Amino acid sequence: MTLSHSWNRRVKGWLGWLVMVIALVGVVTVAAGRDRGPQTQQDRIEVISARLACPTCDGESVVASRAPAAVAIRNEIARQVIAGQLDDDQIVAEIERSFGGRVLLVPRATGLDALVWVLPVTVAVLAVASLVVAFRRWRRDSELLQAPSDDDRALVAEALAHERAEDDES
Amino acid sequence: MTDLDDSLESRPRRVAPFAAVGVGVVIVALLWILAQAQPGGTTTADSPLLGRPAPNVQSSTTADTPFDLSRRKGSWVLLNFFNSTCVPCIREHPELVAFHQQQSALVNGAELYTVIWDDREADVERWFQNNGGDWPRVRDPEGSIGVAFGVARVPETWVIDPNGFVRLRILGEVTAEFLTERLDQLKTPA
Repeated sequence: MTLSHSWNRRVKGWLGWLVMVIALVGVVTVAAGRDRGPQTQQDRIEVISARLACPTCDGESVVASRAPAAVAIRNEIARQVIAGQLDDDQIVAEIERSFGGRVLLVPRATGLDALVWVLPVTVAVLAVASLVVAFRRWRRDSELLQAPSDDDRALVAEALAHERAEDDES
Repeated sequence: MTDLDDSLESRPRRVAPFAAVGVGVVIVALLWILAQAQPGGTTTADSPLLGRPAPNVQSSTTADTPFDLSRRKGSWVLLNFFNSTCVPCIREHPELVAFHQQQSALVNGAELYTVIWDDREADVERWFQNNGGDWPRVRDPEGSIGVAFGVARVPETWVIDPNGFVRLRILGEVTAEFLTERLDQLKTPA
């Protein structure tokens, strides 16, 4: 009994280590084989275009849209990439300077735009906190509900006395 | 009735006022957004370019003369982004003809330029021949002037002051009266 118990423990310990090693190897393999960013100018144009929203479409990126304004933006990105003077962020900033923040598909993490990132996290934290409070209350309430009252106790005592009396009689 | 029953019954009553206030705030916010919305038609619009030096755009006109916006300093310049298949552009054209005639009669009248937006030059030239308008048409085959000004739809009209600063962006159809009025306002020192 003791031997098999310790053997089980040992196997469980190895299993944990084995899972960790497999996970580590997996992560290293995926990281090593990951896309290393745009390789050609066309890749770079597409990567930058994917960061910008078509100004006349609903939630479509410049890379996916065929609207004239999106095509013009793509042409401008291509011109800037070929000119080779600006990096990706600078090209995006140039387009933003003309069209405004609405052209950014991924909102900035500064100013009022930061609310887009902060609000969901805040709401999630508040929701979890509310759930914790609610669960605690429910548990407390259920404990209160389950606790026998004096009437209950009296009822049980009466029933027991009655049973005992019947036993004595028999 | 026990204390527990009391507390259980009173809980919804405590939550209700907060929920009502929350719903009220949301409704007020929505009404405020609706009130801020501008109706259709001619509207002046915000742009990051307003109050800043105009983008340095260079191209050529359909008459094969060079066009360099930075060399237009000293005059009020209006850039009208145009497409010959766009209905509002077609509708506003007679107003632009009237505006151009008015300004041409003035000593320091504004210069008007049409920027061809996502259209074939031949179609635009044919349009002008048939419908009048003898101001220059600027080529923009790659759409780079449109992108420099953040143009998403046409018609769109931009006003640039004699110092080369962007002063006004107008979305949609314009009238000669509206343009003259806004130009006079801009010319009047605050």
